Amino acid sequence: MMMLVTGGAGFLGRRVVRELVREGCRVRCFLRPSTRIDDLRECVGTRDWHAVETFRGDLQDPDDCRRAVAGADIVFHVAAGLSGGAAVLFANTVMPTRQLVAACETEGVKRFVHVSSLGVYGAGSLRRHALLDESCPVDPHPHLRDPYTYSKIVQEQVCREAFERGRLPLVVIRPGVIYGPGRGLLSNRIGLTLGGTLVRFGSRRPLPYVYVDHCATAIRQAGLTPGIEGETFNVLDDHLPTAREVLAACRRAGRPVRSLWLPESAIGPLSSLYERYSRWSEGQLPAVLTRYRSDAMWKPLKFSNARARERLRWAPHLSFEETAQLSLA
Amino acid sequence: MPERSTSSEPLKVALIGCGQIADAHLQQIARIRSARVIAVCDLHADLAEQAAARFGIAARYNDPAEMLARERPDVVQIATPAHTHHAVARLCLAADCHVYVEKPFTLTAPEAESLLDLAAERGRLACVGHDQLFDPAWLEVRDRIARGELGEVRHVESTLGYPLSGQFGALVASDPRHWVRRLPGGLFHNTISHPLYRITEFLKDDRPQIDARWRTRPGFNFPTELRVDLQGASVSGTLTFATTIASQRITRIYGTTGTLECELDGQIVRRIGPAPAPGAFAKLLTPWRQRREAARTFRRQLGRFARGKIHYFAGLKSLCERFYDAIRTGAAPPIPPAEIVRVTRIMDEIFETARQRDASTNWGGAERRGSEWKAIARDSRPAAAMRESLT
Ligand SMILES: NC(=O)c1ccc[n+]([C@@H]2O[C@H](COP(=O)([O-])OP(=O)(O)OC[C@H]3O[C@@H](n4cnc5c(N)ncnc54)[C@H](OP(=O)(O)O)[C@@H]3O)[C@@H](O)[C@H]2O)c1
Repeated sequence: MMMLVTGGAGFLGRRVVRELVREGCRVRCFLRPSTRIDDLRECVGTRDWHAVETFRGDLQDPDDCRRAVAGADIVFHVAAGLSGGAAVLFANTVMPTRQLVAACETEGVKRFVHVSSLGVYGAGSLRRHALLDESCPVDPHPHLRDPYTYSKIVQEQVCREAFERGRLPLVVIRPGVIYGPGRGLLSNRIGLTLGGTLVRFGSRRPLPYVYVDHCATAIRQAGLTPGIEGETFNVLDDHLPTAREVLAACRRAGRPVRSLWLPESAIGPLSSLYERYSRWSEGQLPAVLTRYRSDAMWKPLKFSNARARERLRWAPHLSFEETAQLSLA
Repeated sequence: MPERSTSSEPLKVALIGCGQIADAHLQQIARIRSARVIAVCDLHADLAEQAAARFGIAARYNDPAEMLARERPDVVQIATPAHTHHAVARLCLAADCHVYVEKPFTLTAPEAESLLDLAAERGRLACVGHDQLFDPAWLEVRDRIARGELGEVRHVESTLGYPLSGQFGALVASDPRHWVRRLPGGLFHNTISHPLYRITEFLKDDRPQIDARWRTRPGFNFPTELRVDLQGASVSGTLTFATTIASQRITRIYGTTGTLECELDGQIVRRIGPAPAPGAFAKLLTPWRQRREAARTFRRQLGRFARGKIHYFAGLKSLCERFYDAIRTGAAPPIPPAEIVRVTRIMDEIFETARQRDASTNWGGAERRGSEWKAIARDSRPAAAMRESLT
């Protein structure tokens, strides 16, 4: 089978490529002209490299998309912008997705696996400690979220609209925070880094984390498992660490993190205060922290990977001790 | 059909081009009481949509002509890619709108002239985004020079640090098809307006002597560094554009009796020369004077911070405010049309000189002759030209 993987040289993408190659698939990687492939080649290994084909092009170019999709059975759409302002993120995430989806609609593919994000949920409307699973609605006010999440929500909408038109055999994967070698264990789900100090909001809530290899195998399964078109899967580790466990793991690995603890109950009022100040000062400090965003990011919730485990016949194979060690080596 | 605003209502402003710099326009115009943004437009529906949603703007369009016809704005802010400015601004002027055009105003001086002629014909004003001239720090420079602190200005050094690892720089560097790479002056065409007009503010000659040279850093396949020498009748200037240094915007203004340094990122102006006393005392007095000046600046910035007055794009707000005032009152615009043409012409000459010195280089924009570019620019209809652009 011929697979097309976008973003195939990235942190997650190259592991998806490796998993597919190990499964005996041929993989075409859609890469930008400037993308370096050293890490991808190392990840796949020289023995299996013959199964990988690179396609250089522009995901915003309909012709490039059509040529890349031609002959592909399954498309894994992993590429997305991770940083920049809203316009840049939309240009790197939403606009390319439109072109790719359009190409898949014309060419006809057997499956389109879209890598979305757990951040797309409107977690703000949930009660504290409620269960966030696939039945929760997507955020109804995406423009109030941070620009990255906003772009991921609209990106998923683009795919879903094509599915609803009946023209895209879509499966959506929503990974939590992906960690692994090179990325470490810290993330803004723990708190905010201010001047080299991690200000963590509470320490005991489970963090929606997934180890990068676990995530890659789930994505592979989303492509290969029959009969799951139209379904969505939250992809998370079995054991979700707390901030306290993450910091302890860092300490054990000889990489202590300077951090400052703030009670979880302080997040809401602090965000409101900051938001008000930002408005009063007409943006002297930009409104990066708002009540709406902090509710979505730091409210204590329960998470579940039950549906992915059951429907994708997938399970995380490493314990948190092991993945933490690998990530911090 | 909606009417244009009356003199007591806020001006109706529309924005075309919802890329990276659009946010700065929308944020700063929101701070101006005498104007309100009524519509945004971008050929890419997603870009128009995200800007409208985040800034709470009701109307969004993908076709500039349709927006102009339906919304009848008083002013249009044009924040599209540089090569589309001329065509888009013509469209807006033809619809009887005043235009604020991001830098560089147009790709060539003849284009700038034709645009300003059209504005005059339609009785409309045009402004170019030389916003740093209205930054609080720059206004202080002007003020101190007007008070005679430097004597007569004789030389200006203007530096722009532009690492290619930055958001926009990385995008341009990684994509040979990026529109910036295809401008006549390549990367420099989109960036040197700012350091250049900080020189031409004092170097008033119509046609200064120009020497310019660009270089390509190892590992890149397009010119990345630029040095320009300008010599006028009484004032000279040097412009340095470097991708090898940290991001910074620094200007030094040398006068007959003193020197000022203006650092726009810190919004700081400081006196750096000459020594206030002879011999050994100078080594003590100079740092003492600088310490006192730094303390004064710190107190002032603290006061501004407490009042919520520190904004990166303060110059943009101030320039728009003055432009809108000129529209309302019929006063002279903040940047005279002749100045817009002069700066554009100096840019043309800089690129032509650098291109000639580097005739052997074979890369996107620079390999084209100026005349070829004029032909391309003439051909570009707004929609077709904008479609090529990403952000
Ligand atoms: N990291 C997380 O915690 C996390 C969590 C949930 C979901 N995700 C999603 O997982 C996916 C992979 O993320 P990652 O962490 O592996 O990040 P990454 O290493 O930055 O990978 C992103 C990939 O997308 C490519 N890309 C970006 N803009 C592109 C464009 N305009 N055209 C073509 N390719 C483009 C990049 O190409 P270059 O190599 O050329 O830069 C890169 O290979 C993304 O969809 C992300 O939203 C990530």
